[in-house]
Amino acid sequence: MYGRPHFIFSDIAVCNLKRSPFRTAGLISIVALLAFMLFGGSLISCSLFNGADGLAKRLGADILIVPKGYDQKIEGILLRGEPSAFFMDAAWLGKIAHFEGVRAVSPQLLIASLNASCCSMPVQLIGFDQETDFIVEPWIKTALPGRLSDGEIIIGGAISGGAGSKLEFFDREYTVVAKMENTGSGFDASVFMTMESARTAAEDFIARGGNLTLPDNAISALSIMLNEDSSPIGTTKAMNEHFGYGNSGIVVVPAKEIVSNVSGNLRALVTIIVALAAILWLLSILILAIAFSVILNERKREFGILRSLGATRRKLASLVFLESGIVSLFGGIAGVFLSALLILPFRTYIRDTINMPYMQPSVIALIGLTAGSLILSFVAGPIASLISSAKIRKSDIIDVVRDGEL
Amino acid sequence: MMLEALEISKEYKRGDRPFFAVDGVSLSIDKGEFICIVGRSGSGKTTLLNMLTGLLTPDSGKIAFDGVAYDRLGDDELSLLRNTRLGYIMQGRGVLRNFTVLQNTILPRALFKRAEDPEAKAISLLDRVGIRHLADQLPARLSGGELRRVSIARALLSTPDLLIADEPTGDLDEETAAEILSLFRSVAEEGTGVLMVTHDLDATSLADRTLVMQSGRLRERA
Repeated sequence: MYGRPHFIFSDIAVCNLKRSPFRTAGLISIVALLAFMLFGGSLISCSLFNGADGLAKRLGADILIVPKGYDQKIEGILLRGEPSAFFMDAAWLGKIAHFEGVRAVSPQLLIASLNASCCSMPVQLIGFDQETDFIVEPWIKTALPGRLSDGEIIIGGAISGGAGSKLEFFDREYTVVAKMENTGSGFDASVFMTMESARTAAEDFIARGGNLTLPDNAISALSIMLNEDSSPIGTTKAMNEHFGYGNSGIVVVPAKEIVSNVSGNLRALVTIIVALAAILWLLSILILAIAFSVILNERKREFGILRSLGATRRKLASLVFLESGIVSLFGGIAGVFLSALLILPFRTYIRDTINMPYMQPSVIALIGLTAGSLILSFVAGPIASLISSAKIRKSDIIDVVRDGEL
Repeated sequence: MMLEALEISKEYKRGDRPFFAVDGVSLSIDKGEFICIVGRSGSGKTTLLNMLTGLLTPDSGKIAFDGVAYDRLGDDELSLLRNTRLGYIMQGRGVLRNFTVLQNTILPRALFKRAEDPEAKAISLLDRVGIRHLADQLPARLSGGELRRVSIARALLSTPDLLIADEPTGDLDEETAAEILSLFRSVAEEGTGVLMVTHDLDATSLADRTLVMQSGRLRERA
């Protein structure tokens, strides 16, 4: 009839928070912002690292050779899945295969699909040579029952569909036989097929009025694996000297350079994100500490009354501590939830905006990130309230009573 | 004697000038005794009560409750004494705005857990002071007199040995003030000592003794 019969100490904190909704909402918002940044920042950082890691693992080549002027294009394909088509003479395959230090060389034929029934965006069609391939097949063997036939395709993790489904490119239907796991790199938006299928797709494209010239015996790129005692940089230099850099019509690119460029950019970006999160964490604690201090002055009267009723100094301090803990708990949960709501579904948009390999962490890692963000948010309030709690514990509260005109 | 103060003093500063808010006051009160202290504003009455309740430490002198000196008690013990054996009705509207009348009344029990459920007693006390029907209301909806009654009910919750009241009838109409004084008288007759500070000389009519506070000093009224 008259509410809860057992009114306990923690109820004082809960009542105070519930019946001062604007003050409580303000404090929760500060912690929520902190949690939002902590979770969002760490999630994006983690996804970038995953993306770079996935790219480094996926890019099994030591050196890439592409037509002159297309070194940026191949980077776009690998990092961002920006479809492109370019060609060079397949005769380069023989020249490179016998170059000193080269252990294996495999050609790829790249065709850009401007539209496809499968996708909301253009995809990269990659024809690869199954005889010599060491890049694509190692990653699909577990999913691919046998050799890929003409008209069969393997799709990247970001492409909708699965084994057995059909996709259509330039009015020709292809059968999906396997799907790759997400890597966070451009491979996720790529479709892998035999060299013959890729050539057919290109011919279909041209036949439908597509603006493309496909020379006979054309390939787009060569992926090179070196002997263990050969260095990518040294071999790149030797190739450039041998074939005449700038005059040969090709560009030799150490593949690791692409990854290390990514890693370098990534380190800078993640450093900024981590620094911002740390600054925000400290700033939030400072803002909360100031807020608690101001609130403490406003609550002198309340503390004076509680003291007169028998509240010990320790109890008053723990009341402030408890209230800040509750605020932090709700703020932390709200911030992480909002952050997850905004970031998790928009990974494609984020990847496109950042222009770097991006792959969200596993569920276990996500749980870890959530727990970490919640813990850091949860401790922010109590840490911020330490000064106010210490003030209460040290002060002779009757001065508070006198000041409060009780 | 239940509460005994011996030569207690408290000094404050106004600007650079020190002054004694309470200057060598001795006082004793026994169970069932009703004592009034009258005096002008600023004469040191509230400071004296704050020292007697252990909220403020005197600069000199001794205070003891049932023979136990305050200076031998720590914060926990003094707080427990206030919670269980002293009922303090502070000057002004000493209720918490975020809590209902009933919650305000049972607040002392939320601070120190005890086995028994305080609600039944709180309701009966609210009934005794005439505001049972307001138990679920927040203080913002109550008048000054009603708020004062909440403080009184709360102070009586633990059946204290001593009830200390600072200007309990200060801003009340005559009728309400008379009801409250009558309540104090009956509380004293039930065995609880009552020490009341007031401006109102008429309010002293029900007291066993009346003391006068002037410039920090206390004397018997002639």
